[in-house]
Amino acid sequence: MATKAKATAKKSTKSATRGDDRTYRASKVYKSKKVSLANLPAQFSRADLEFIRVDHSGASYEARVFINNPNADGNTPTVEANGYAGSFSIFGHGGCFGDVGHCDVHKEQDEFDPRPSHPLLPIRKVVIATSAIKNAAAKNPDITVTVVPVLMGWTEKSDLEDVLKFDHINLVTYD
Amino acid sequence: MASLTVRKNVDALTTPELQALRVAYKNAQQIMDNRGYNYYAGLHGIPNWYCWHHERTSGSTVNANLFLPWHRAYLLHFEKAIRDQRPPNSKVGLPWWDWTSGTSRVTFVPHAFSVATVDGQPNPLFRARIVAPTANPPINRMTRRFPGNPAVLPTQATVTTLLGLTQFNDFSNQLEDVHDNIHGWTGGNNGSVGGDMSSVGTAAWDPIFWSHHCMIDRLWYLWQIRHGVNNIPPNLLPMVLQPFTLTVRDVLSINALGYEYAVSLVRI
Repeated sequence: MATKAKATAKKSTKSATRGDDRTYRASKVYKSKKVSLANLPAQFSRADLEFIRVDHSGASYEARVFINNPNADGNTPTVEANGYAGSFSIFGHGGCFGDVGHCDVHKEQDEFDPRPSHPLLPIRKVVIATSAIKNAAAKNPDITVTVVPVLMGWTEKSDLEDVLKFDHINLVTYD
Repeated sequence: MASLTVRKNVDALTTPELQALRVAYKNAQQIMDNRGYNYYAGLHGIPNWYCWHHERTSGSTVNANLFLPWHRAYLLHFEKAIRDQRPPNSKVGLPWWDWTSGTSRVTFVPHAFSVATVDGQPNPLFRARIVAPTANPPINRMTRRFPGNPAVLPTQATVTTLLGLTQFNDFSNQLEDVHDNIHGWTGGNNGSVGGDMSSVGTAAWDPIFWSHHCMIDRLWYLWQIRHGVNNIPPNLLPMVLQPFTLTVRDVLSINALGYEYAVSLVRI
């Protein structure tokens, strides 16, 4: 019996690391504190969850966003009943393949510098979450936002344990 | 008078067209100078990092969203390079990969890119050699690809929603997100390592990169038909798409660039 349980655990671990359709490997999950929707307008045509200053220097992943489902993980079906609001994807740089300093983001660049800004400057990602926000607002004055980063691809230089890094989330509504 | 290059759905290529495409890719992959596949692939990520993703700043122009015009210029130059290597009297244009098609939702990667050999010879559309001696560490190996579950691919409904967005930045950002997702899942992983399409640094070496971006470019073209070919923030127009000499203004019209997208057709 002990042997069987051990084998099962080992099998789960193996399937958990494969990027197939049965089990997805997730990195560290983000869970927000409760956020009040009291100031949300009564009517809006669109609601976006904006993720500000998202890091994209490492592994590639799909960030699945759930409303009011703090227990969501990589195997949670992405359906409305589970609070699934949508996702954004990160096409990561996979780590640094240049010499020392190559991946250090230049902090200042004057207006006479014709070179584009550093490619690893953090980015903004937008999830159109209109239906999920409306559904949540109809049921609760407060919501939580859970973001589950599901790993897609990486290099030998990528950290896989904590890929999801961003500054904050804005909930933006439009008339 | 030169005729327009016609870009077709890869699944709609005739046998001679597909064969000509393979020959062009094979010939280009054997050239290591600035006419060859390795050179053009190296412009995107490793080692030159010219690719433009998301909103970046250049000089006094802030938050410039050049993802679509930059990749249009990039594909154009690559297409010219492989056309130079095509068999005599053949027609070669970059084919697009319709990842919303019913076929893709079964096979994920189109057959043209997923077979390892053709007539006993390595298929140049299946993989290519990455030669990047200045990368840290140096890279010299064949590309690898571990596609995920086809169910993750976007649907026609996703495309319909995208094409309905009316503002350029909104459309570009949402399309780029779809693009990011496909890169990730096409490269995929085998549990130990990711496929090259999933990393910016090496993605352009995977031969399917070009057809994935051809679909992206085609969707921009379809959006332009609906919302205007000049529908782009005007402050972007004079920006140069490095390392190419083209500006954003130069790449707005695909006809002016010498190509066209064929209407998709049903194979009977």
